[in-house]
Amino acid sequence: MRRFYLITRDLHLYVGLFLSPFVLVFSASVFYLVHGFAQRPAPAPSDASRTVNNIAVPAGLAGMQGRARVDALRAVLDQVGVSGEIDFVRHLPGEHRVIVPVRLPNRDTVVSLDYEQRTATITRREHSIGDALVYLHKMPGPHNVDVRGNSPLMRWWKVLADATAYLTLFITISGVYLWIALKAERRVGLVLVLAGAITFWGLVYAIAA
Amino acid sequence: MPSLREDELAGERRTRGAVDTVLVWNRRVHYYLGLFLLFFIWLFAFTGLLLNHPRWQFAQFWPNRIQSTTEHTIADVTAANDTNRARDVMRQLGVAGELQWPATQPANGPFTFQVNRPGLNVDVKADLQAGRATVQRTQLNAWGVMHVLHTFTGAPAADSRNRRDWMLTTVWALSMDAVAAGLIVMVSGSYVMWFRLRTKRLGGIVALALGFISCGAFVSALRWLL
Repeated sequence: MRRFYLITRDLHLYVGLFLSPFVLVFSASVFYLVHGFAQRPAPAPSDASRTVNNIAVPAGLAGMQGRARVDALRAVLDQVGVSGEIDFVRHLPGEHRVIVPVRLPNRDTVVSLDYEQRTATITRREHSIGDALVYLHKMPGPHNVDVRGNSPLMRWWKVLADATAYLTLFITISGVYLWIALKAERRVGLVLVLAGAITFWGLVYAIAA
Repeated sequence: MPSLREDELAGERRTRGAVDTVLVWNRRVHYYLGLFLLFFIWLFAFTGLLLNHPRWQFAQFWPNRIQSTTEHTIADVTAANDTNRARDVMRQLGVAGELQWPATQPANGPFTFQVNRPGLNVDVKADLQAGRATVQRTQLNAWGVMHVLHTFTGAPAADSRNRRDWMLTTVWALSMDAVAAGLIVMVSGSYVMWFRLRTKRLGGIVALALGFISCGAFVSALRWLL
């Protein structure tokens, strides 16, 4: 039993230290999200832009949908030197154009590809550290599921975001175990757990019932 | 009369006593906060997983929603602006929650708005002249309630018309702030507690460095990751 306690205490410490930067990122971004501070405006025509010609456009791009289109567009993005997670793609058939928003935590790029003329106009906007934290907090998220995780960054972030949630659950459970072992703090701790539970369930009941 | 040396020793004891008190309270604050926030942390960690895995079958809520449409008679609504008109209609219908305006209000059409709270969306279309209102209620199951609690801030970004306007949304938003602030305090305090454990310093530095490098790489979106 003593050995189990010591192992749990060490795991709580080391896992907690590894997890701490992620907890800080998720916690700090809460203030931006809750109060709508991070607006993250999309790149506008006034932002810096450049044009790339003679792009090798994948055959049948105009007729593609979903993941196949995103995969085909990746080859185009590589040619124009743009990297990041491809978001909602818009096809404007009348203009022979696809609008491709590409996101990084601290940068949004819009690639406007004319697949008939084989030219692309690339507009870019940099974002603040606050915007980057909010972006990471929201990703991968519940939207655009079919194409989400189309960049290595997002695939890895998804793993780490999940790991943060699982490890947070582990940290709390191991923390409760370590607290129970502290006999002198049991009474105060129990009062706080009960106070927290009453506050939590009271709020949820008032908001949702 | 005490000597100079005795004065120095007494001063050192006082300083050490104050530092010890701070360290004891730092440790207490760490687990007191953790225990008080336990259910909040569980909710946000678990619903974070649900949001990142919308295909998990057990937590589906939208296909299982319950919808109903009812017609109501409403008394004269004489308020001067849209918000007060909506509040008057909500009071008459017995609906409470965060008021949400559509992107556009149809010209010469019904007075339209939505009332949201975790687990319940109410669409109201009111004909104020005729004194009638059509109410469509969409009720979500417990998974839906949990899902919405994670994101229920009442302050959509880049939407100046839809401001937080329900007291309970403000209370919930403040509790989200409190959980975030509490976690930051707990993390800061844990660094102090760890650093005082000399035998755990090296392992702790490795764990902390791994965490900061991997997290920092994403925040700054390092080129080699792309």
